[in-house]
Parts: sequence; structure tokens; C-alpha cells
Amino acid sequence: MAADSEPESEVFEITDFTTASEWERFISKVEEVLNDWKLIGNSLGKPLEKGIFTSGTWEEKSDEISFADFKFSVTHHYLVQDSTDKEGKDEVLEDVIPQSMQDLLCMNNDFPPRAHCLVRWYGLREFVVIAPAANHDAVLSESKCNLLLSSVSIALGNTGCQVPLFVQIHHKWRRMYVGECQGHGVRTDFEMVHLRKVPNQYTHLSGLLDIFKSKIGCPLTPLPPVSIAIRFTYVLQDWQQYFWPQQPPDIDALVGGEVGGLEFGKLPFGACEDPISELHLATTWPHLTEGIIVDNDVYSDLDPIQAPHWSVRVRKAENPQCLLGDFVTEFFKICRRKESTDEILGRSTFEEEGREIADITHALSKLTEPAPVPIHKLSVSNMVHSAKKKIRKHRGVEESPLNNDVLNTILLVLSNTFLVLDDIDITHALSKLTEPAPVPVHKLPVSNMVHSAKKKIRKHRGVEESPLNNDVLNTILLFLFPDAASEKPLDGSSSTDNNNPVSESEGYNLYNQFKSAPSDSLTYKLALCLCMINFYHGGLKGVAHLWQEFVLEMRFRWENNFLIPGLASGPPDLRCCLLHQKLQMLNCCIERKKARDEGRKTNTSDMYPGDAGRAGDQLGPDNLKDMDKEKGDVGKSWDSWSDSEEEFFECLSDTEELKGNGQESSKKGGPKEMTSLKPEGRLYQHGKLTLLHNGEPLYIPVTQEPAPMTEDLLEEQSEVLAKLGTSAEGAHLRARMQSACLLSDMESFKAANPGCFLEDFVRWYSPRDYIEEEVIDEKGNMVLKGELSARMKIPSNMWVEAWETAKPIPARRQRRLFDDTREAEKVLHYLAVQKPADLARHLLPCVIHAAVLKVKEEENLENISSVKKIIKQIITHSSKVLHFPNPEDKKLEEIIHQITNVEAIIARARSLKAKFGTEKCEQEEEKEDLERFVSCLLEQPEVLVVGAGRGHAGRIIHKLFVNAHRAAAMAPPEEELKRMGSPEERRQNSVSDFPPPAGRELILRTTVPRPAPYSRALPQRMYSVLTKEDFRLAGAFSSDTSFF
Amino acid sequence: MRGHLSSVKGGEPDWGGQLGSERSGVRMDEDVLTTLKILIIGESGVGKSSLLLRFTDDTFDPELAATIGVDFKVKTISVDGNKAKLAIWDTAGQERFRTLTPSYYRGAQGVILVYDVTRRDTFVKLDNWLNELETYCTRNDIVNMLVGNKIDKENREVDRNEGLKFARKHSMLFIEASAKTCDGVQCAFEELVEKIIQTPGLWESENQNKGVKLTHREEGPGGGACGGYCSML
Repeated sequence: MAADSEPESEVFEITDFTTASEWERFISKVEEVLNDWKLIGNSLGKPLEKGIFTSGTWEEKSDEISFADFKFSVTHHYLVQDSTDKEGKDEVLEDVIPQSMQDLLCMNNDFPPRAHCLVRWYGLREFVVIAPAANHDAVLSESKCNLLLSSVSIALGNTGCQVPLFVQIHHKWRRMYVGECQGHGVRTDFEMVHLRKVPNQYTHLSGLLDIFKSKIGCPLTPLPPVSIAIRFTYVLQDWQQYFWPQQPPDIDALVGGEVGGLEFGKLPFGACEDPISELHLATTWPHLTEGIIVDNDVYSDLDPIQAPHWSVRVRKAENPQCLLGDFVTEFFKICRRKESTDEILGRSTFEEEGREIADITHALSKLTEPAPVPIHKLSVSNMVHSAKKKIRKHRGVEESPLNNDVLNTILLVLSNTFLVLDDIDITHALSKLTEPAPVPVHKLPVSNMVHSAKKKIRKHRGVEESPLNNDVLNTILLFLFPDAASEKPLDGSSSTDNNNPVSESEGYNLYNQFKSAPSDSLTYKLALCLCMINFYHGGLKGVAHLWQEFVLEMRFRWENNFLIPGLASGPPDLRCCLLHQKLQMLNCCIERKKARDEGRKTNTSDMYPGDAGRAGDQLGPDNLKDMDKEKGDVGKSWDSWSDSEEEFFECLSDTEELKGNGQESSKKGGPKEMTSLKPEGRLYQHGKLTLLHNGEPLYIPVTQEPAPMTEDLLEEQSEVLAKLGTSAEGAHLRARMQSACLLSDMESFKAANPGCFLEDFVRWYSPRDYIEEEVIDEKGNMVLKGELSARMKIPSNMWVEAWETAKPIPARRQRRLFDDTREAEKVLHYLAVQKPADLARHLLPCVIHAAVLKVKEEENLENISSVKKIIKQIITHSSKVLHFPNPEDKKLEEIIHQITNVEAIIARARSLKAKFGTEKCEQEEEKEDLERFVSCLLEQPEVLVVGAGRGHAGRIIHKLFVNAHRAAAMAPPEEELKRMGSPEERRQNSVSDFPPPAGRELILRTTVPRPAPYSRALPQRMYSVLTKEDFRLAGAFSSDTSFF
Repeated sequence: MRGHLSSVKGGEPDWGGQLGSERSGVRMDEDVLTTLKILIIGESGVGKSSLLLRFTDDTFDPELAATIGVDFKVKTISVDGNKAKLAIWDTAGQERFRTLTPSYYRGAQGVILVYDVTRRDTFVKLDNWLNELETYCTRNDIVNMLVGNKIDKENREVDRNEGLKFARKHSMLFIEASAKTCDGVQCAFEELVEKIIQTPGLWESENQNKGVKLTHREEGPGGGACGGYCSML
């Protein structure tokens, strides 16, 4: 290029930017980074405000560079400042010393509560650090250190960067930095001394002043005065006469059968250890001048009581063990387990299987034997029921022949087949059942076996390795099913009565947001019990065991028509978790079955013959014969009989009738003929309405309730409906699919109002579709004339169509719209196959709900405003997360973590209140101040003590230290001697009743010309910190480089 | 026609015209922002199905059979250039069907509550419908719109101001419309959708909610384990 511009010249001038060595390359990379970050030149910010290091925002930028193959990270730390201030003074001022040098002298931010150590040592607002990138890497050898420092120096010089640049040397934990800052003609060297032990001559101010002065090497006499800032920090670890009150709950008491400190259904709360581990008192002398104060090896003026500034910080125990947090966390862990209930309970004992299966077949054939009647036309469940009776009888006398382990494994398999069985033609299934004994095992449903198995398991478990202690189990079951305690659990009212008294309270509707379950519901209680079991009684095994018991109980209740307590009646509440909905669904099934069974019981007494006859008509003659026989023998118990009859009814006869008889009757069945029918299934009279054709009163019929739905069923159904598409045919099909309810209502209506017209029906069902008008008839009278609306008159619209197909059948003899048997079995199967992990996922919203309520309750006692805010955030956050199916684990963990944090905060507040005795404080004003002080301690990193050592809080703190000190002084005499041995401590003790400070920080500052008397006067600073096993001097010494 | 609509839920109604429904029938499946579930409820015979038919097919059928159970229609419209697919569930108004339909309230983001301006009884019953909504809706930030239908008819019984008042009281959007003359129908649906899209968190479905950020942060880098940030001790 140079050649191009001067083609005639023979001498080429080449500017060489190639970098030959690794070192050069490294330096140029550093320069590149500094350039990239625009750290070039001097731009002065405004003077630092007081406390800005704590209140302002610190940011950092990082990059990675390497020296040969050794990786360094370069990081720029800076306090975020208003950019407008910076821009105004952007022009480079030649004779102004760099910002960082000026900051060395600024006294507004000495001893910041929390800051980068370089900020603490040098008072810098901005700096760059080059440190080994890998944590374990270190620059150890002196030559390497010097090489780095030289690189820094060259880079700063080349770029004109005025931001101090540090190099971290030695092991990282030592926090050793050396660095440099360059300005126009000035330079500051940052140097450091770090020792394990404090050299004796430097344990006090006068010794440190000597170092400082000798280091400056100031040629002037007399030396300009050195300004001094001192902070002593005292640590209190020994909280005398104050014991952390919270004991972990006594688990043994529970296991022993007495439910002691912890009740089921209550969550524990609080920290197991003191969440406040230390109190740090910092006594500060912010501005002293050399000569005002004496602090040497024999005497010290520095009495902490007299210090003008006191500030306190508390050290929080890191992740204190908190009961509630642990509880929820442990429960959440179940979500990740993969085992099924059976795997956990270890019930697949294969070695025994062979023998046991033989036993089973034997037992089953035995079961069928004693019944003299062939089980021909019995339905599945009927047979099961009678079988069950027998098993129960047996159980009392002798050991059941079935080994529970094997039985249960089989039952699980069976429950799958059963559902399939349910779907295929039931007659087919029945005919299979009628085959001679031994009945193939796999055609049996689960119900009865499980129940007997349950009893056995309970017995079994009680004696040996049962994960759950019997007493505990019984306590829980009683807690979950309080109705079991009374002799008559049959009383259905117990469940509906549960429409709770608490519902008004503010937190009650939280379940709505969390999609959990009401706090007085069975589901919620179950969640809490499982949580407790998981924590105290056998962990995952216990959970699996309780769940199994729970499922068995559900089945028991279904079979015996006992309503499940603790569930709001009515259809499943879609705002609750799916498990809750499923339980409500089961309750709906039980309710219907119970109503049916009871209805039948009363029917037998007065209506038996008629009904039987009617039923018989609908059945084939063969069926009738068999049924009669069975009724004679087995039908003594209507309980067990009912199911089968029902199933017959709807599955066989009813459908047949629909096809056959139905059409027949509609053909010949004009209104006249209908009228002769006896009205059936009337609920009550509909106001003053009368039938149009004969003036008889119009009756509202007893109708079938629509099918209750859980959200998963609903999802399925609406998907099916949506899939039909938006075409006219689709819409038609959709309407048809949903017309079952309409048809059923029409049939009930026809039965209740013999001889009625569609107009009659519409007047009840959709009154706006019957339009009445006043017209004047031939005789001049006002007559009300009505007719169907236009849309109802559309030929062959679905309403008309349905009306024409509808036959007069009262609701109770109609095909069930809701097959409770089938739905109940589906629910029970669903419950049975839930693994503990599934269960935990179902119930986690309840547990979180409970935990939030608990935290809220505890917070109410303490009234901490910040916690209130956090709880609100937790609630909004959780309701967002829990509203969607399958929330991510990470989000759930976050919620639990937040709850744990709040618990820890409350525990800390309690601990502090106890320590500072806010309750004991008598004067109202002082109490308020103290409470404010305590809450500040929780929220701020460091709190100023108003009035320092003489204020109210100051006196309390003083007392705490004095007490701790005195207690320490009571220690064995030889130790005491050793303690008193060091002159250092003796000196301290002569001054005050405080223990020796745990740390002392001193900042010495001055402005002197270096290196020559005629050089510019520049800032000099030395920070020193002295603790028991750490001695550090961090010096920043500036010198004029103009002539040197 | 746009003047019929009043946004009572807050903020000025914006008739900037950035709403434009996709009537031309271009392929709509691509870049659909979200699918919204919308529900139409109200007494029987107020014209729920007719409103829907007018919106989706732009037709009016005076002889539309009474809905049985629920019916379902889909339409994609674009709001501010974002396409939204609407799954609209039309319900039967008859008392008896009411036990069946609430299950469809689940997960709806918007509800259109319709009354017939020529039949006061359909207006009076609105309170019942609102109760129903409150009971069965699974989310609490759902957007409600009140529509007074059949304004083409002569024998009006419910004044526009009454409808306005009701809507204001219950924080709903309000518009009067006629499925027959097409007045206000398009506008009603569009406004509802825009409102839903403006309501944060309402339309973000499961797969989109990954972007939800947690505002609350604990303490930041704490205590000793940090890179260089530390107290003296």
C-alpha cells in the first residue's frame, strides 16, 4: 500500500502491526477489549453520593482472552450512573487526574455493607479485573505476576485508558490483586499484602500509620495530616439465655399411637434451628485525624460504646432447616418416582405364584359350588356380589385361601380387562360366565376380591413389615372418613352437610385459583395426610400403602352405597383438581346407585308384581324363567340384586323395545289411545297450565339428571363434538348426539301427561317457542290462541323428530343416561392405577395451597409487610403455573422455594423479636422503634443504630454482648488465663466490657507529592483489615510520572 | 354501524380500523397466533345461533332450528395483523339444557351474552346468566360482552341505555346488533377478540406460556459463595 502511494520510491516504509510473541498478542488483546468497551480516555462523573455503592446498581461485563493457552477472563465492574452526567463532560481534560484517583479520597462510601472487595478496599466506582478463567487456575510465580502487571501497564499506556486495571494473582481464595491506573502524567499503583497472622507491631493504629508513612516516603516535613476512618466489628454468636424454642415435632408420640404435637391435617411450621446465626455490630469512627486519637500497643481511645456510628447486620443461617419447606419439598420429590404402588409395596412375589394360582382356581370353583342355581343369566357384578358375601363369611372363620399378594397383582391385571369387557356386548360376556366352573379367573371383575383383600392386608400388615403403623393408619382413616366412627355411616347427610362454615373466609376460594380443592374437602385432607406420611411414617412406602387403603375404601363405599364424606354434592367441580373431580364423580355414582337401590326396595313392597310383570314382558320368555328362579333364591338381598337387573334392563330389553315395540306404538299410538294409559312419573303440576286437547293439568315429569362430567371426560366429549366439523351435517349429527337428554325428557313428559302434544311439551320446555296471540273469534270474544314458533314448525326438525320417536316411559324405567356402574368402575380403575408419582402430581396444588395458607396464617401473627407482598406474589405466580395441566417441574420447584423462603423470613423475624425482646418493651414508642429496627434488620443488609451505643436498641445490643462476654469469662480458669494472655486482649478489656472485635478496618488517606517534593500532590490511600487469622493491607499509592 | 359498540370495560374504544376479518377465505391455518374459545349464552330464542351464523357464514336463516345442547363453529379473523382462530360454542338457551352446558364454560376466554331487545324478559334474566358464568367459569379474567340483538324489529322493549347501564355495572363490552340486517355483528366479535388479546395471560396457551417471566427474585447473589462480592468478614 505504501508502495502504491509512492511508486517511485525505492525505500518501502512498512508499518508492522503483526504481533510476534504470545506476550505481544496478549497485550493487544487486552487493548482490544478496553477499546471495545470504550474505556478510553478520562470522563469525570459526578462525586459519589453517600451510600451510592449500596443503593446503586452494579453491573459487569466479561470477555475471555488467553495468554498462549492460558485463559483469562476480563471483567469490567462498574456502578451504573446517569449517562447524561457523563456526556456533558466528555471532553478530555488534560490536567485533571483520573476519576479513580479522586475516588480514593472520597469518604462517602467507606465500609459499604456489601460490595466487591476492590470497591471496599479502594473506594472505586469502576475497574477492570483480569483473572484466570478457570476457578482452580492461579498465577503463582513472581515472574508471571510481574509479566502480567507489565502487560497491564503497557496496555493502559497504549490505549490511554484511565480505568484502573487489576490482575488477580495467587489462589483465588486469597483475593490478591495488583493493579495500576494511569492518567496524564500520573500513575497509581495498587499493591497488596496478605498475611495469615497480624504482625505484633501492626495491631494498632500507630503501627499502621508507620507503614503508611514509610510507604509514601514523603519528602515533605512536616507531613500533611493523615485522615483516618476506623470500623470495629463485633460478632455475637452466643445468644445467652435465649434458646431456640422450636423443637422438631415428636414423631415417637405419633408412632406410639398418641397423636401429640402434630395433628393430621395441620402443617408444621418454623425453623428447626436458629435461622439467625450471628449478629454483627460495626462501630465506626468515620472521620478522625491523626493525633486526635491514641491507639497503640498499651492504650486505646477507641471505646466502641463511644463510637459515633453503630450499625448492625445479622447473619442468616444459610438454608435453615424449615419444617414446612422440607415437608412440601419431600412431597414434591414423590412426583419424580417411577415405581407403581405394587412395586413399592413389593407384592410381586413370583416364587409363590405357581402354588397360589392353583389355589385361586380352586377357591373360585369352591365359591361357585354352594350356589344351587346356575349363574346363567347373572350379570358380572351380581355374581361378584354374592361371591363377596361368601368370602366375607369365610373370612371370619378361617384363613382366606387367597394369598393377598398374588390376588392383588391379578386384580390389577383384571381391572384392565374389565373395562374392555364392559364395552363389548354384555351378553357375550354373560354367556362366558355361564360356562361351567371353574370360572376362568380373567373374566371376574375386581370389586369383591379387593374388598376381602383389603381386610386381609390390614391384618397382615399390622403384624409385620407394614410400612404404616396400624394406629397411625387408623387415625388417618378416621380423620379422612369421620363418618366411619359412627355406627351408621349409611347416613348420606354427612357428605352434604359438609357445606362448610369456613367458606366465607378470605383464603377459602384459593382453590379456585390454584385448581386444588376446598380446604375442608377430603382431597385436601388426603393431600396433607400423604404429605405427613411421606415425611414421618414410612416415606414413599407409606404413601403407597395409604393410597392403596384409600382406593379400597372408595371401592368399599361404592359397593355398599356409603357416600364419600368431605365432598361437596353435585357434579364434579371443574375448578378443582382432577382427582377431586374423580372423587366427586364417584360420589355422584354412589348417590344414584343408592337412590336406585332404595327406590327398588320400596318398590318391592308395594309394586313388585306389576313391575316384575312389566319387566318380564320386555324380556324373552327364557330370561323370565331364569330370572324368576333367581329372584326366589338369590334375590333376598336387593342390594346385590339391583345392579344386575339394572344392567339387564338397559342393555338388553330397553334397546330391543326401542326398535320393536317403540315403532309399533308410535304407529298406532294416537293421542286417544295414549290417554287411556295411566300417567306415570309425575313430579308436580306446572302452574295453571293445562293440556291443550283435553284441559287436564300439565304435569312436570320426574326427569333423569344429566350425566355429571369430569374435565377429562368433558375434554373428550367436546373434542368429539368439535371433530364433527362445522358443516350442516356435522351440526346435525352433533345435535343428534346430544338429543338423548331431550328424548328422555320427552318420554318422561309423555308418561306424565298421557295424550299430550308437542305444543304442551314446548310450553314447559321452551316457553318462548309457544307464541300466544289474542284473537277475536267468530263470536266476537277475545280468545288466546297459541301456536308453535316458526322454528319449531320447520318440518322434521330435530325437536319434532324426537317427539315422534319418544314413547311414554317414565324416567325410572328409561335407559340410564348416565351409567353409574360403568362410570364408577372407570373412576375406581383410574384411582387404582395411579402411581404415587401421579398421585403427588394430582395433589401438589392442594399441598401448595395448604402451605400458602399456613404461611399466611403465621405471617398474620408477625405482621411483616415485605412477607405480605411476597405471599401475594406467590399466589399470583402459583395460580399462573398451576392453572395449566402438567406444569414444569422447574416452576413448581420455584414456588416451593419461595414458600420456604417466606417461612425462613418469618422464622428469622421471630428469632430477632425474641432476641431483642420487643414483647418485653414497655414504652409504646420504644417498642415501635424497636419493631421497626427489627424489621429493617430483616430487609436491609445493614441497619444504622439510632443513637449508637446510647440509643434504646444500642443498649439492648450492648447488653447482649456483655452477657455473652460474661458467660465466656466463666469458662474454665486455664482457658481464661490463655485468653487473657495476649496483650492485645488485655488492652481491649481495659477499655470496655465488649469482647475483642472480630475485625478491625482502618482507612488511612492523605494527599502528598510523590516521588519528589516538587511533584504534584496526589491521593494516597491504605486500607487495612485485621481479623484473627487474616491481615491485609491494600495500598494505592500515586505518583507523578511527568519527569520520572 | 360501528357506532353501536361501546366499550365499557375501560379505555377508549378504538375504531382505527386495524381490525379486518378474513372473509376472502385465504388460507388461514398458517401463522395463527392463538386459538380462542368463545361462548355464546343467553335465553332461548334471542338469536344466539343467528348471530353466530351471520358472523361465520354471513347469512341469515329465519328458520333456524332451536339448538340442542351445544353447537360449534370455527372462524379465523385477524386483529392487528395477528390471526386468531375462534372456536365458538353456541349453547341452547332452554332451562333444561342449562344443566348440560355449563361444562362448556370451562376454559372459555370470551363470553357473548345475548338478549332480545324486543323481549324484556330476556333482558331481566341476564342476572341469572351472569351468576351462571361466575359459578362455572374457570378463569376470572374472562372478557364478557353483552349483545342486544334484533334491533331491526319495530317493537323494541329494552332501551339501548338500559343495556349500556347493565354492561357498565358488570364491566362488559356492549353493543346492539341485528343478525338479520348484519348490524354490529362483525364488530362485536372483533372487539371481543381484540379485548381478549389485550388481556395479558388470557390468551397465552400452555405452549406459549413458557415466556412468562417471574417478577420476583430472591435476594440476588447472597453471602459467601459469590465472585468477589463479600462483606469484610
